Amino acid sequence: MKGKIQSLSIIQWLLYGFNAVVVMLLAAFISITQMKINQSMVARKFLDSVATVPWAIDKMLLYAFISFVLLIFFSILYRRMAGCGSNNKYIILLLEICACIMVMRSINMAYNGMVLIVVADLVSGYKGKNQRIILTVAMLGLYLIASYNLVDFQLKIVALEAYFAYYNQMAQGILKAVCNIFTSFNMIIFVLYIIVLVQDQHQEKERVKMLNEKLNEANRQLRFYAIEVESMAETRERNRLAREIHDTLGHALTGIVAGIDACLATIDAAPEFTKKQLKIIGDVGRHGITDVRRSVKKLRPDALEKFSLQGALQQMIEEFAGTTGMKIKLLCDKWPEKLRKDQEEVIYRLIQESITNANRHGQASNIVIIIEPTADWLKIIIKDDGKGCTKITEGFGLRHMQERLELLKGTFHYEGGNGFTIIASIPVNWGGVYNDKNHDS
Amino acid sequence: MPIKKYPTIIKLLMAIVMVFLLGMLYYRFVYMPQEIVLHIGLFAGSNWNVPAADSYAVVDKAISSFEKRHPGVKIVYVNGIRKNDYSEWLSEQVLKGSEPDVFMVLSSDFNLYARMGLLENIDGMSRRDSAFSYEAYYKAALDYGKYDKKQYALPFESVPTLMFVNKTLLQWAGIAIPANNWKWQDFIAICQKVTKDTDNDGVIDQFGCYDYTWQQAAISNDVKLFRDDGKLSYFSDNKMDDVIKFMMSLEKINQGHKVTAKEFDMGKVAFRPFTFAQYRTYKPYPWRIKKYSSFEWDCIKLPAGPDGKNISQLDTLLMAMSSRSEHKELAWAFLKELCYEKTTQMDILQQSEAMPVIKNVVESNEAKKMLLNGIPGDDKMNVTIISDVMKNAYMPPKFSKYNLAMLIADNEIKRIIEGNITLNNALNKVQKKVNDFLQN
Repeated sequence: MKGKIQSLSIIQWLLYGFNAVVVMLLAAFISITQMKINQSMVARKFLDSVATVPWAIDKMLLYAFISFVLLIFFSILYRRMAGCGSNNKYIILLLEICACIMVMRSINMAYNGMVLIVVADLVSGYKGKNQRIILTVAMLGLYLIASYNLVDFQLKIVALEAYFAYYNQMAQGILKAVCNIFTSFNMIIFVLYIIVLVQDQHQEKERVKMLNEKLNEANRQLRFYAIEVESMAETRERNRLAREIHDTLGHALTGIVAGIDACLATIDAAPEFTKKQLKIIGDVGRHGITDVRRSVKKLRPDALEKFSLQGALQQMIEEFAGTTGMKIKLLCDKWPEKLRKDQEEVIYRLIQESITNANRHGQASNIVIIIEPTADWLKIIIKDDGKGCTKITEGFGLRHMQERLELLKGTFHYEGGNGFTIIASIPVNWGGVYNDKNHDS
Repeated sequence: MPIKKYPTIIKLLMAIVMVFLLGMLYYRFVYMPQEIVLHIGLFAGSNWNVPAADSYAVVDKAISSFEKRHPGVKIVYVNGIRKNDYSEWLSEQVLKGSEPDVFMVLSSDFNLYARMGLLENIDGMSRRDSAFSYEAYYKAALDYGKYDKKQYALPFESVPTLMFVNKTLLQWAGIAIPANNWKWQDFIAICQKVTKDTDNDGVIDQFGCYDYTWQQAAISNDVKLFRDDGKLSYFSDNKMDDVIKFMMSLEKINQGHKVTAKEFDMGKVAFRPFTFAQYRTYKPYPWRIKKYSSFEWDCIKLPAGPDGKNISQLDTLLMAMSSRSEHKELAWAFLKELCYEKTTQMDILQQSEAMPVIKNVVESNEAKKMLLNGIPGDDKMNVTIISDVMKNAYMPPKFSKYNLAMLIADNEIKRIIEGNITLNNALNKVQKKVNDFLQN
C-alpha cells in the first residue's frame, strides 16, 4: 500500500518536472528566436506575421518562471487541503487554474501540458457527487483555454508557428516534431498517473471491504460473549444467593429448629431453662435477620453505597454517555433528600434500565431525564429521541420496572410514539420520620 | 492539527505578498532614479522625399520647452536613424520591449501596430483632457491616425498637393489663370492651346503639363480604388474608365514627346502638380534662383473630373504613443506638445518642409506673413488655398500592401495609357492582378 502511494507521488513529481522542463525549454526557444530575429534584421517582417505585441524576453522568462512556481505551489497546497477535506481548497484550486493560465499565456499558448497537472489534482481530490460537476466544468474550461485555436480570435497571442517560420524548412519540421513529442510524452505520464491512481483506489476499496467483514465477525463474537458472560454472572449470583441462604438463613433456621425441638422436650420438666433457651433461640433468629439484611445489602448497586443518589446517577450517566456516545441530560431543580434506600434503588434501577433500553432498542442519541419532587409524589420522566415503537411488547425489563414500582405503591406509564417516554411516580412522605429498620423487617 | 495549519499557510502567503509589495514600492520610489526619462523615436531626414536641412530642429525645440515646463523629466532620442531603416529599428525595439514612449509611425506600419495593440488608443486621454480637442485638426490629417474608428495617432505634419501654374507662359499665350473650380476639360483645353512649336524648328517645344499622374486624376474623379481593409480593389470602376480616357487624351497632345523636369524648370511647361514639401524645398535660395528664375508662378487646386471635385492627396506624418509606456500621462503631454501646441506647429511652418496640421495655425496671420514675406522673392503662396486644399483633401489608404499594390497597378495602367494595351477589358485584368496580390 505504502509503495503504491509512493509510486503515485513519484509520477506526480515526474509530471511537475517534465512540464517545468518543457516550459523552460519553450521560453528559452522563444527568447533565442526573438534575439535571432533582431540580429538578422527581420523584425518588421516577423511583426507582420503576428497578431499582437510580443512580450520582451526578460518579462516572458520572469512570468513563465514565477507563474510555474506558483502553479506547483498551489497544486501541492490543493492536494494537502483536499486530503484534509477543507473547504478553502476551492479557492486554492481557482488560484491554481489562474497560475496555469498565466504559465500558458507567458509562453504564448505554445504548450498546454500543464493543464494536465490541474486535471490530475482535480481527479485525485475527487469526492462525491458535487465534485463531479465541478470537475467536468473545470476540465471543459481548461480544455477550451488550452486549445487556443478555438479562442485565438479573442485571445491575442503570438503563435508558435510565427517563431518556427524564422527557421528553414528542415528545422521547422524538427521543431514541430519535438513539440509533438513533448505533448505526447506528457500525455503518457498523465495516463500512467491516472492508471496508478485508479488501481490505488480499487485496492483501497478492497481493503475497506475486508476490514468491514472482520469487524462484523468480531461484533458477532462479542455479542455471543456478552450472552455467555450474562448467563455466567447469573449463575454466579444464583450460587452466591444459594450460599448466602444456606449460610445465613439455613444456619439460623437449623439452629432455631434444633433449639425449638430441645425446648419441646424440656418445656415441661424445666420451664425456666426452656424460657432461657427460647430467648437464645430468639437471638439466633434476630441474628439471622441481620445476616439476611447484610446479604440483601450486597445486592444494592455499588455506586449507591458510595455516593448519594444524585452522585450515583450522575456517575452512571457519565459512564453510559461516555461508552455509547449518547447525549444524556439530567434535569432536577431540587434533589429529594429524604428518600429510603429502597426508593433510591428503584429510581436508580429505573433510570439505568430506561437508558439501556433507549440505547439498545430505540437507537436514541439524546435522552432527557427529569426528576420532579411534588408534595406527596416524586415524578420521574425519561424521554428519548429514538425510534420509539407503536406496538410495545412488554419485555422482562419493562415488567420488572413495573413490579419494582408496584412494590413501592408507585405508578408506571410509558408510550412509544415520537421517541420513547417513561413516566414513573413514587409516593413519598417527606415530613414523616421513617424507620428504615422497621420497614425492612 | 490541520485546522491550525491553514492560517499559518495563509499568513505565510500574506507575508510573501507584503514583502513583494514593499519591494516594489521601494523599487518605485527609492531605488529608481528620481529623473523620469521619456524616450521618443524619430527618423532623420524628411518624410517627403526631399532633402531636409535640420530634421530634428522642430522636435529639439519642443523638447527643450517641454523639459523646462516639466522639471525632472528628460527626453531622449536615438540620433541618425534613416527613414529606410526606421521601420526595422522600431520593430526591433518592439521585440526587445523597449520601444520609445512617443514615436513617429510610418504609413506602412500604422495599421499593423494599431491592430496588434502597440499603439495606445488616445480617445480616452483626449476626452479627459479639457485643453485638447480633435476639432482643431484638418479632418483628413486626423483621420489618417484612425484605425477601426479609434484614434491611435495624432498627425504631426501634412503635405498637400497643389497645381503649379506657369504664370509667365500663360500670359504670353493670352490665357487667364484657371479658377479653383476648374475641370478636366479646361485643363485639356489649355494644354492643347499651349502645346506648340515656338521656335518653328518643326518640333514642339512648349507643353501643357509635367508629372500629372493617373493617381491624381483618379482622386479628382472620386474613384475609390481599394476596400478599407485592403483586401479588394476596384480598378474596373466606370469612373476609372474616364480617368484612363482623360489621361490618354492628355498623352496624345504631346505627340509622343516625354516632358522632362528640365523643360519645366526652363519655363516651357504650363502646369506641374507639386507637393508642398517639394515647393518648400525648391523655393528658397539657392534653388529658386537656379531653377525658376525664368518665370513667375502661382498655385491653384487640381482640376476636377466629371464625377469628382477639385481635391488632391494629403500625406501625413503620424506620431503615436506606446501602449506599454510607463509614463502615459507624460507621453500624452509630450505628444500634445508636438502635435497640438501652437508654437511647435508654427515651428513646422518655419523649419520643416511640411504644413502644420492645426487649422488655426495655418490660417493665422503669422503663417500668412511667413508664407508671403518670410522668404525673399515675389512669388506668393496663398494660405487660403492651401488651407482649403487641406480641408477637402483625400486621405490615401495606409494598409501595409498599399504601396506595392499601387506599384503593380501603376505598371499596368501606364501601359494602357501609352496605348500598348487596348483599353477594352484591360482594367478588369488590372483589378484581377491587384486582387491576387492583395489576397495572397
